[in-house]
Amino acid sequence: MNSSFLDRLLRNWLTLRRPVSRLQAIGLGVACILLCLTGWWLLTQGAAESRLVGPLTLPSPAETFSKFSELWNDFALTRNVLVTLRRVSIGFALALMIGIPIGVTAGCFPRIHAFLSPLIMIGRNVPLAAVLPLMIFIFGAGEKNKVMFIFVASVAFVISDAARAIMDVSARYIDTAYTLGASRWQTISKVLVPLAAPTIFSACRQMFGLAFGYIMLAESIKIADEVGGLGYQIQIFQRRGFREHIYLIILVIPMVALVIDQVLAWIQRQLFPHLYGGDGMLRSLVRITVIPWESLKSLIFYRTPVSLSSAATEERPK
Amino acid sequence: MSQSPAQVVGMGTVLDHVRTPQEVALPHVVEFRNVTKTYNAGKADEFTAIRDVTFVVEDVVGKGEFICVLGPSGCGKSTILRSIAGLEPQHPATSGEVLVLGQPVVGPGSDRGMVFQDYTSFDHRTVLENVTFGLECLHTPRRQRDELGREWIHKMGLNVATDAHKYPHELSGGMRQRVAIARTLILKPRIILMDEPFGALDPLTRLNMQDLLVKLWKEVQATVFFITHSIEEAVFLGDRVYLMSNSPGTILEELKIEPATSSANEMQRQPKFLEAVYYIRDKITKLESNQ
Repeated sequence: MNSSFLDRLLRNWLTLRRPVSRLQAIGLGVACILLCLTGWWLLTQGAAESRLVGPLTLPSPAETFSKFSELWNDFALTRNVLVTLRRVSIGFALALMIGIPIGVTAGCFPRIHAFLSPLIMIGRNVPLAAVLPLMIFIFGAGEKNKVMFIFVASVAFVISDAARAIMDVSARYIDTAYTLGASRWQTISKVLVPLAAPTIFSACRQMFGLAFGYIMLAESIKIADEVGGLGYQIQIFQRRGFREHIYLIILVIPMVALVIDQVLAWIQRQLFPHLYGGDGMLRSLVRITVIPWESLKSLIFYRTPVSLSSAATEERPK
Repeated sequence: MSQSPAQVVGMGTVLDHVRTPQEVALPHVVEFRNVTKTYNAGKADEFTAIRDVTFVVEDVVGKGEFICVLGPSGCGKSTILRSIAGLEPQHPATSGEVLVLGQPVVGPGSDRGMVFQDYTSFDHRTVLENVTFGLECLHTPRRQRDELGREWIHKMGLNVATDAHKYPHELSGGMRQRVAIARTLILKPRIILMDEPFGALDPLTRLNMQDLLVKLWKEVQATVFFITHSIEEAVFLGDRVYLMSNSPGTILEELKIEPATSSANEMQRQPKFLEAVYYIRDKITKLESNQ
């Protein structure tokens, strides 16, 4: 009885790729958090002098969490989170708006890709900490500098990921589209981009997490009168010696990132039901907005509707 | 090349030579005139896929012909098909002419629909959206193309109510190929190019698909080019079978096949059917052993 339980336990833990139920997965995650908290508590328990790790290095959990209301009220946590988020979002959205079309074009036309590849290579490998001072020269010390920093940090990655996603779509889809009479533009817009879109979305979802890290760097450089942001707050706390607050912010950032990631994951599921199942609410929404546009377009540009019987005959060679 | 007089082998008749465009009076649907395709000409990895291929497919009034291409593996069967389709890199040919309805092929088009062996359903589109893709590209109004799409989904033996809004990944291999065929036939192409469309299907599904294809082909009256590794499939489906040589491929023999009179499963037991199959199999076995 006892040994069979042990057997099962070992089998569950040591079998390669043994599926784990959702409940179990959450439970294991919680166990990990509890373990870390216990470790933290053990390291910092007792009077200040007798602790394994001194309070100047690591405050105890109780000390840290007791400062939460101060952080929330006096230091306007939500406002600072929103300020930071706004900067990342604008900079990242800019990178997407410019990067995705360029990346898609590069993915479709290898010569354009070859032409752009030195710029992409530099953009991906440039040391961002070194770029930051330059950004201040160019865009000043205000909001623009931070937004543009995020843009510069992510646009090269967006371009190269979008190009890669397009190039990874199998050539047989292009052949199929062509033999069904699609034009080059139709093949790009109806086949290549939709098939690459899930890959591009996943890549951007990961990149958003990175961009969220970069903004801390941009916000930690303080020039003239700055306004808010988590990175800026950390700088202030550091100068004043508020260790607890810094630890709290470090705990808050992953939570915010988690929430954003979950929202993005939801959008992803709803946009691409063919990959993630579900009813594809957002995909339907996109289609509902596309259908009237398409009808409008056919009214304006394609006056003579193609009749059913001659649907394809017009394309035949004489 | 066999220059003996026409020889009857069961359901098939081996012509004394492969017909050339000059000999055929009827309008030509497809003709190849001394077509050669060489890749990387002049370099170390030069490779000739097909050499000096000449044949003609006539436009039989009221019905297209069903042409099957057989040959040892790697003999350039796909090269011939993709040259007709106008797909790169097989198109354009290094030398010679590929003509469709008397006009040189300049690129791909919906008048030459193609069905591939790999499942090429557009994964992001539902069955209905896949089937109506070509009509969408022609700017057919939505209502018309959906109506026609449903009609074809039904014709392909799929359930309109339950399958039309499924995504390809929810379908079996056989059903996916049905969608791929419907997507091509809905455009009423003059020529249908099929590159081992049933190669990945299990034997039973394959027989069903053959019967379905014969039924639909009679309806759309197109010329079909069908590449296969299965000799039974070729003899059952084909009006004409082209037998290709080892690489670089050229057409060795042209066989005319009597039309099938019953279903795939029944035909494949008849002695005269088997006689034709064995004749071709011996030829191909000999070719492959000389490779």
